[in-house]
Parts: sequence; structure tokens; C-alpha cells
Amino acid sequence: MKILDIAFKDMLRSFRSGFAIIMMFGLPLLITGLFYLAFGGIINGDNDQLAPTKVQVVNLDQTQGVAAGNSLVTFLQSQELTKLIAVTVSPDEASARQAVDSQQAGVAVIIPANFSNTIMDSATGAATAVTLYQDPTLRLGPQIVRELIGHFLDHYNGSRIAGGVLAAQAGKYGVTLDNTASQVAGLEYSQWAQTQGAQPNQLLDLQAPASQSANDKPLTSLIGSVMAGMMLFFVFYTGADTAETIVKEEEEGTLARLFTTPTSRPLILAGKFVSVVITLLIQVVTLVVASALLFGINWGAPLPVGFMTVGTVVLAAGFGLLLISFVKTTRQSGPVIGGALAITGMLGGLMTTGFNNIPSFFATINLLTPQGWVLKGWTSTLGGGGVGDIIGPWLVSIVLGLALFGVATLIFRRRFA
Amino acid sequence: MLQVVTQPQVPGKAANHNGPIAIRVEGLGKNFDKIQAVQDVSFEVEEGQIVSLLGPNGAGKTTTLSMLACLLRPDSGDAWIMDYSIKTEAAAVKQAIGVVPQEIALYSDLSAKENLQFWGKMYGLRGPKLTGRVEEILELVGLTERQKGPVAKFSGGMKRRLNIGVALLHRPQVLYMDEPTVGIDPQSRRNILDSVKKLNREGMTVLYTTHYMEEAQELSNRIIIMDQGKVIVQGTHQELVKIVGEQDRINLTVSQVVPKEIAERWHALEGVNRVSLNEDNSLTLLVSDSNLILPNLFEVATGLGARITSVDIQEPNLEAVFLHLTGRGLRDS
Ligand SMILES: Nc1ncnc2c1ncn2[C@@H]1O[C@H](COP(=O)(O)OP(=O)(O)OP(=O)(O)O)[C@@H](O)[C@H]1O
Ligand SMILES: [Mg+2]
Repeated sequence: MKILDIAFKDMLRSFRSGFAIIMMFGLPLLITGLFYLAFGGIINGDNDQLAPTKVQVVNLDQTQGVAAGNSLVTFLQSQELTKLIAVTVSPDEASARQAVDSQQAGVAVIIPANFSNTIMDSATGAATAVTLYQDPTLRLGPQIVRELIGHFLDHYNGSRIAGGVLAAQAGKYGVTLDNTASQVAGLEYSQWAQTQGAQPNQLLDLQAPASQSANDKPLTSLIGSVMAGMMLFFVFYTGADTAETIVKEEEEGTLARLFTTPTSRPLILAGKFVSVVITLLIQVVTLVVASALLFGINWGAPLPVGFMTVGTVVLAAGFGLLLISFVKTTRQSGPVIGGALAITGMLGGLMTTGFNNIPSFFATINLLTPQGWVLKGWTSTLGGGGVGDIIGPWLVSIVLGLALFGVATLIFRRRFA
Repeated sequence: MLQVVTQPQVPGKAANHNGPIAIRVEGLGKNFDKIQAVQDVSFEVEEGQIVSLLGPNGAGKTTTLSMLACLLRPDSGDAWIMDYSIKTEAAAVKQAIGVVPQEIALYSDLSAKENLQFWGKMYGLRGPKLTGRVEEILELVGLTERQKGPVAKFSGGMKRRLNIGVALLHRPQVLYMDEPTVGIDPQSRRNILDSVKKLNREGMTVLYTTHYMEEAQELSNRIIIMDQGKVIVQGTHQELVKIVGEQDRINLTVSQVVPKEIAERWHALEGVNRVSLNEDNSLTLLVSDSNLILPNLFEVATGLGARITSVDIQEPNLEAVFLHLTGRGLRDS
């Protein structure tokens, strides 16, 4: 089987090249890995990726009744936050700081004595100083606490405005509210607002939509989308790069030498095509399996995943061969491959997978590129879609891929006639 | 500058045709856009002979070989290798020939052994036969010790040797070698020339291109001189040098005498055909046989009280033939 001899020779060459291996497997996994590390740890609480940060809280707020200090303590202790922070109430500032110094806690939160007054003082609007005392070696934990308290304070700004509005309204009717009354009104507004659903834990909605829904789907789906984009980008790259060996062999003189052996030209070209297809198949299967193991991505049911694997390989091979059929020298092929794949990859949506705020017309633009169609299919399988959901994009990939194959074959056969 | 050259009739040409013909070329022509790379080239190579295509850069040697290797389609003419037409029986032609390309054509990221294994498969060798041949060739080209490392790390000479080895894997009946000694050290060159002779002794027909006349002279049964796409002359080495006449050229410098005086005396000698006086006061003589005439030249000089301070004898060579036929040197271009 000379056709396989030629294909295996090509594969031996490319799998021996460290650069090719990095582009095939290293980069897509690495880039997705970076996303995974950046987002995975925070959100994926269920997997104990990150232990909750230990927080010491000292409440020195002396105000009686509905005091802001108490509200903040209650907020930090709330059920929703237990995955993120473990709160211990400390009797005094010194012992709280001591706990941080001895690394018993990551952060100490010190609520000052005049906290309620300052926070509700609509006249001054002065910034309230809640002191955070933190372990300098930690980054993420103190950051979370800072965000949480910031959000709590923002919320109170709302209350303060409400208090101010109330005072003004009362004034219209000839009632004067003293400072305390407006404070009380503000705090009551705040508590009312909390019961109405404007809870502080909305913060978690912003930062981590994941923890809101069941069984952490959104995170793996985010990482899955990123991985799909990266995989497709580098699979299309590998398709063109492997096809480039045709031009490379032309320059090396080995193609001409092959033509002097008793091996027909169509067979030599076919061997090259086979090497592209097998290489891509190995790449896609490896990336799907490796990313499932490394990042816990659930690519979907076996059948649709198998379909999309074949569709991706055929389309990326056809597209790569077509690109290379326009290229005369390896000097040209770098810019052509790089430029064409970066542009079509970007328009195909490969770089923006997992982003929520993409304008909807972009989904239409995606489908003007080959990459957009396979991405659509993979997005379906990632979302648990069956064969019925991917059959459209799959058919397009196969038909388009075979068409590109055909055109590339014609161009190459004319060139090497 | 441009001479119209009609192919001289070389005596004894027909008498050379004894054995069966391995390569028969008739009226081969090839154009690249406006360049007529090969025009109306015809020649024959008998089985078991080494024939050289000798010519300067751009003479059309590689283009001719490429057509004979079924790599390029001729625009006119045809050729038969072991009686297979390059136009209609390319597959059979390719099985019969081994091609050593002018530029090294190997996979530089594969080892010598991997290269040989792959190319062997392209010639249809498999299994133990392939393994055996690969070992033999490694031995033949002296690369058994270096069979594992990537070819990229080889010296120029080692690459050249492997480049030749690849063409021998399937024991071709006819071997084309396109300037196989270009750019390598004298020792490797010697090596290659010797192995070409050895292959030929074992019965292989060789078509060899070169622009070194010494190689053509040493190796070939017959020499075909090409220039600007055409065959300008062909024959054995002896036949070709006869074209410039059977004269040796002797360059002499003399002292203590008026050169003109000695020139006249020398010219009067039997066997001296021409004496010319050069600008640097040296003398150039065309003689029938330098061995016979040299003692007489010295005798005359002594009689005149002159001293011969240098003698340089040039037997007629292919360089002179090329110069004679084209008005240019082989290495002008
Ligand atoms: N592929 C090509 N396209 C255009 N012109 C070509 C091509 N190949 C050869 N030529 C031209 O044809 C002529 C003959 O070239 P060829 O390579 O056959 O010469 P050569 O005798 O092998 O020379 P050298 O000793 O330099 O290898 C040259 O003028 C060359 O420029
Ligand atoms: Mg040449």
C-alpha cells in the first residue's frame, strides 16, 4: 500500500517535529488550561478546587437596633457565601489581627465603632472605613472579601439615597426628620430591599452565574466552549500545515523524485491527503479525550461527538488542502495560512466562544466560515444535543469539506500534470 | 560569437553499434516559455555503456534527463528506455531507471535508513527483500555507521552518496546521474567515480551529466557535448579530440635570444605546423607529436645559445573541442 507508505512517512515527519506537536496538542490544551485555572478554581466550589477563605470579623459598631455592623456580619455569615468564606466572629481587633498574623485566618474584617452613623450619614457621604487586614501572601481570598464588602457598601449607598429622598419628601409635607429617623428609614429600606430579592448575594450572580444553577454546568460549559474554539483553531491550522508538506516536498526536490519512481501522481497526492486526514483524526480524538480528562469537559453523547469528529476532520483537511493549493512556495505559505486561518477563525467565532455578550448577528457571520459550522455542531454536542441537533452543521461540514477537497485536487492535478 | 555548428561526421560512429540499445532518443525538444531548453536532441546508448552529457550551465542536460525520466513531457520527439516509450509506457520506464537528481532530494528529518526504506517501498520493495537491499545500499555508500541520525546532520559528501544510494535500491537497468559530484571534496568525488565504474562493470547502463571534461573523459565510452539545448557533437573521446586535429600545443619561454629568430628556425623543423609569438614573448607551437619534436627544439635552441626556461605541453582535450566548436570555454557561463 504505497498510499499508506506515503501517508505514514509524512506523519513520521510531522510527529517528530516538536513544533508541530506543540501546535497540534500543546497550545490548545495550554490555552484552555489557563482559562480553566483563571475561572475554574473560584467557581467550581463543589470540587473543592479552593478552600473557603477564613475570615475573622470584629464588629465594633455600637449602634443599637438595626445597626449596619450587624447587617454586614449577618451578610458575611449568610448561607450563600459559605462556599467562599468561613466567618469567625472575633471579640476584639487585636485577636483578629493575631489570627491573620499566625495564618489562622486569611483576612480580618474590622467594622469600626461609628460604622452605622457614617454609612447612613446622607449629609456627609463620607467613605466608611472598614479595615481589611490580610495575609499578604494570599490573592484570591482577600479579593473575594473585598468584593463582597464593596458590594454591601454599594448597597448601603442605595439605602442612604433612599433615606435622603425620604427626608426631602417628609420636608414637603412639613415634617422634619431628625438624623436618627432618616437613618432608621434608610436601614429599613435596606432590609426591605433584601427581602425583595435585591440580595447582596446577587454579587454571586455577577461573578459566578455557575453557582446559581444545578450541578455546575455553566463552568464546564464555559471551559468546553473555550476548548472547542481552541481545538478547532488548531485543527484547522494543522490541516493547512500538514497539507503544506506538498509544497515543502516540491521545494526539497523529493516530490520530483517521487514522480520518477513507479508511483502514479494521483496516488502520491492521495497519500498526502490521507496523511492530512489521519493526522487530524489523531489530533481531534486526542484533544477531545485529553480535555475531558484534564478539565472534566463533557463533550456530549458518543454518536454526535463521533459525527462531529469526522465532520471536523473532513472540513479542516479540505480547507487546508485548498489553501495550500494556492500557495507556490513555503515562504508564501506562512502568511497565507496564518492570515487566512486567523481571519476565518475569528469570523467563525473560535476566539469568542464562551462570551455571552456577543451581538447576535455575529452568529450569522460565523456561518460564513467553515470553522463557524463545525463550531456550531460542537456547541450543540457540548450542550447535550443529539444527532438530530448536529445533523445540519455536520452535513454542511461534510459537503463543504468534500467540495474543497475536490477543488484542491483539481488545482493540484493541473499543477503537477 | 554565435557560430552555426553543423554536427561533424565522426568516423567510426556506426561501427560502435554492436550491443543492444538501452536508450534511444529521437528528436527530443522542450520549451519553457520563450527558452528553447532542448532542441532536436538525438542519441543512443548501448546497454552496459557509460555515456556522458557534457555541457556548460544551461546546456539542457537536466531538462533532457527529466524528459527521459518521465518527469517532463517532451514538446517534440520521443525516447525509448529498454524499448519502452517515455511517452506511452512511463510506468515501465520508471521501473527500469534509477535517477540521481542534480539537487539532493532526501528527507532531511529522517535518517538514512528511513529514507532508504521509504524510497525502496516506492520502488515496490517490501519485507525481507527491502530490509536486505537497504543494508546492502548502506554498505555500498559507506553509511552503515551513520544510518540512524537525521540526514540534516550529514556532510555534503554523505548526502551525495545517499542521494545516489536511493537510486540503486531496485537494481535499475539504467542509471541517470545528474552532476553527482558537484560541490564535494576530492576524496568523495573519487569515491563516487569509482563506484560508477564498478556499477557499470556489473552491467549497469549509465547516462551521466557533467560539466567537468575530466570526468567525462575518465568515465565514458561515449561523450555527447551539448550547448544551448543542442547536441553539438558526439563520439568517443578519441573521436572528439580528432576534431581539433591531431596536434599538441606546446608553450615555451626562452631567454638570451631574439624570439623571432628562434621562431623561424623552429618553424622550419619537420613536424612543426605553426609557431606563433605571444605578447609576453613566449612562443606557442602546434606540433604533430610533442614527444618526437621536443629534442629537436632543444637542439636548435642550444645552437643559438638560447635557454628554454619553461615548457608546457597540452594534449588536445574536450575543452579544446568545445572551444573549437562554439568559440567559448566550457566554464565561461
Ligand atoms: N522549469 C523551468 N522553467 C523555465 N526554464 C527552465 C526550467 N528548467 C530549465 N530551464 C531553462 O532551460 C535551460 C536548460 O536548463 P537545464 O537545467 O536543462 O540546464 P543544465 O544543462 O542542466 O545546466 P546546469 O549545468 O546548470 O545544471 C536553461 O536556460 C534554464 O534556464
Ligand atoms: Mg542541470
